[in-house]
Amino acid sequence: MRREILPFLFAGTTLMAQTIDRTKPPETPPVPSFKMPPVHETRLPNGLAIVLVEDVRFPLVSMRLSFQAGNKFDPQDLPGLAGMVAGLVTQGTTTRSYRDLAEELTSIGATLDGHASPDVFTIGGSVLSENTAKLLDLLADVALNANFPENEVQLRKQNAKQTLAAQRSQPAFLANEKFDALVFGSHPYSFFSATTESLDRMDRNSIVEFRDAFLVPNNAVLLLVGQLPPQAETLQLVRDRFGSWKKGTLPAEPAKKFPESKRRLVLVDRAGSVQADIHIGRLAATRTDPDYYPLVVGNAILGGGASSRLFLDVREKKGLAYDAHSELDRRRDAGVFTAVTQVRNEEVGPGVEAVLDNLSQMAKAPVAASELTDVKNYISGGFLISLETQASLTDQIDLVKTMGLPDDYLEMFTSRVRSVEPDQIQAAARKYMDPSQATIVVVGDAAQIEKSLEKFGPVQVEKAK
Amino acid sequence: MKFAFLLLILFCAVVQAAPTVIPIEKYTLKNGMRVILSQDNAVPVITLYMIYDVGARVEEKGRTGFAHLFEHMMFEGSANVPKGMHFKLVESNGGTLNGSTHPDYTDYFEVLPSNKLAVGLWLESDRMRSLAITKENLDNQKEAVKQERRLSFDNRPYATAIVDHWPQLAFQNWQNSHSLIGSFEDLNASSVEDVARFFRTYYAPDNAVLVIVGDIRIPETKKLIEQYFGDIPSQPKPAKPDLSEPANIAPRSEVYHDAHARVPGVIIGYPGPIRRSPDYYALAMLDVLFTGGPSSRFQLNLVKGKESLIQYQAEMGWPFASSSDYKDPGDYAMFLLFKPNFTPQQIVDQVQEEIAKIQKDGVDAKELDRARTLLRSEQIISLQSSLHRAQLLGRYEIFDGKPELINTNLENFLTVTPAEIQGAAKKYLTPERRTVLQILPAPAPAAQENH
Repeated sequence: MRREILPFLFAGTTLMAQTIDRTKPPETPPVPSFKMPPVHETRLPNGLAIVLVEDVRFPLVSMRLSFQAGNKFDPQDLPGLAGMVAGLVTQGTTTRSYRDLAEELTSIGATLDGHASPDVFTIGGSVLSENTAKLLDLLADVALNANFPENEVQLRKQNAKQTLAAQRSQPAFLANEKFDALVFGSHPYSFFSATTESLDRMDRNSIVEFRDAFLVPNNAVLLLVGQLPPQAETLQLVRDRFGSWKKGTLPAEPAKKFPESKRRLVLVDRAGSVQADIHIGRLAATRTDPDYYPLVVGNAILGGGASSRLFLDVREKKGLAYDAHSELDRRRDAGVFTAVTQVRNEEVGPGVEAVLDNLSQMAKAPVAASELTDVKNYISGGFLISLETQASLTDQIDLVKTMGLPDDYLEMFTSRVRSVEPDQIQAAARKYMDPSQATIVVVGDAAQIEKSLEKFGPVQVEKAK
Repeated sequence: MKFAFLLLILFCAVVQAAPTVIPIEKYTLKNGMRVILSQDNAVPVITLYMIYDVGARVEEKGRTGFAHLFEHMMFEGSANVPKGMHFKLVESNGGTLNGSTHPDYTDYFEVLPSNKLAVGLWLESDRMRSLAITKENLDNQKEAVKQERRLSFDNRPYATAIVDHWPQLAFQNWQNSHSLIGSFEDLNASSVEDVARFFRTYYAPDNAVLVIVGDIRIPETKKLIEQYFGDIPSQPKPAKPDLSEPANIAPRSEVYHDAHARVPGVIIGYPGPIRRSPDYYALAMLDVLFTGGPSSRFQLNLVKGKESLIQYQAEMGWPFASSSDYKDPGDYAMFLLFKPNFTPQQIVDQVQEEIAKIQKDGVDAKELDRARTLLRSEQIISLQSSLHRAQLLGRYEIFDGKPELINTNLENFLTVTPAEIQGAAKKYLTPERRTVLQILPAPAPAAQENH
């Protein structure tokens, strides 16, 4: 593996300490920012967008063929359909059985998998760079010619039901499912996963219909990253395989209507739980909202990593939990902010209270200058480290191309984070971290914890499904 | 802070060597601390990886879970690093960090922007030199570990069966069979004196390896390491516990009723060979044929074919290790989730039938070629990460004294012959040597019986 200095990253310099003072941490220069590699973009006559990015560090090529066809496009009665189609595209085509596909992939050192997120449907993988053309063959074959053999459809439905049963035994799954249902209301973002009923209703027809409607070139971006052949040659490889792909008429997107956020408390009763999973949050900014960067910084101060307020207060100071953090779910049309912790049954009252107090505090007082500097470094460094491998670089570029983000999103990320001011964080906190508008979902043994939750408002108890 | 534990990895990565050469500079400080440097200036990131030659298998009776509890204490501060500052200093310098406890070693890492190397060295050297061992810190971390146990084990399906029950069934020597996460009773019994003794005995520079991988300059880095670690005193080499298992192996089988599980599972294991012996490489290749990639035999014959399995994972040393940190005595073991219209015995029989095919018919040359390509590409993918490179270098040093295996060991897997695979299957994977733990969904009230 030939490794070269990346032209697009600032090389770091090692700090030299001449004499060592052990009593305080060494001083070091600021975290460097990310420099985007050159991106070549074009489009085929059938509408397929093509993005090529050279990454010479590894003898690998990563591919993503992404469609605006995530689970938000599932029909009302078939939640989970996009995920089902994504799982099935690699299970057989008009000319290759599952075994043929699997053996060809393994023999060229490649992977290829389908995946559906709430917004995007992706077929992606990687390959030893000398076999780039061969993986493009297979990628085109599954995208254009998947034939969904009846036995594979039945098998995947059966296994999906079992997997669903296994997931339902996890408290975090139950909490996320209920939380999404509450904050997204009737918007299809509330489709957290397939259900036993929707799996029963799915058949080869509904699967083929979804594919025919959404997996069309004018709805897709093909991204290739790695040690690519020369540009003209790469484009010819793509044209040969995707050029004859027929355009389609795109179905309408679901209306971007979301319910108002309001305070409520739902307890999902999971008998036998030895602890309670607590999720508190609401709808929040998307990546393209003006509030976004203040929210990112505020979220990291509140609950990002082991120096955050939730970690230090709920875990370290109060000893209530092993995990206490907050997170942003950044979808294309809506964001979600959530604070999460898990406490033992007898501590559920103090646990909810501690999280709510920390949320209020974010709006009340401006963050200190040192806390702000530290968290900006934390976010910038984490961002830099996350681009270390080709797969993660590819996913980041794919994100820009599929989520409607500006071309300079990755390159400007660090400086936009650095420009956030304390008053902007307070304003974002007032908007998105206000306890009086928070949805609270607790998963646990109702017989043991319901009483302790009553002081936070009316408790709506639901049996775990 | 996580207990090393592989529950959802469906794919075994037998990843060892580099496609071309990963540079290695190895030397030893005067106090006996081994240092491995690997320069790679492609990305402005470094991994600082500290691995100590002590794991949960050295624990004493009445102190189950102690190695892991101690690992938590390593984040509680030292002479110049106040409590809570370890996390804060790494994160406020843009880095990530963690520590994990394994049967045969304990490791700590910081991944940092490369111009922050000195911060990592300062933190790691200060806690090796002067850990803050106080009752307050210990009590606080006992609670954190208990909460970790509730979250990661007691409230999750399969986890208690895997971490507490499987080792008891798979091993006879207490050093190998006891719970590595530990009981609440034993955690409560641990004292400040226990912590101090453990620190003195095992956390000495001559019982540790420091690995730095990434965007460094060798001369400056060596100088910094000498300044931070050079004068930490060495300690007498600790005694190694007797891990030997009795030679007589009998088949064993048990049933565990899991109140949180909704889907039945089964663990199947066979006592494995000596680390890096010819049989070890042969069994590791056999595992790739069984469970590696989309065209593996388990995928084609059991998930498809018989339509019995839903998910599978298998490793040399499962569940706490994989082939790179497998240490004998250990099992080649697998964890299978299956459809409830099959019985656990049917699943065990199907697996044994797959083994019997290898024992009888051997391995197809094309199939073996595919497995080799899979290993090669998996390795390129995994070596992109500086953390992964550092882990491999450190583990090859601790286990084998040969960090250069990162460059050479792949060849040992790729040159395994069909006859060697068939021979290993016949020698190791027989019903007479098999251990089976069935994990069956139980109604919630039964949960109490298991604790």
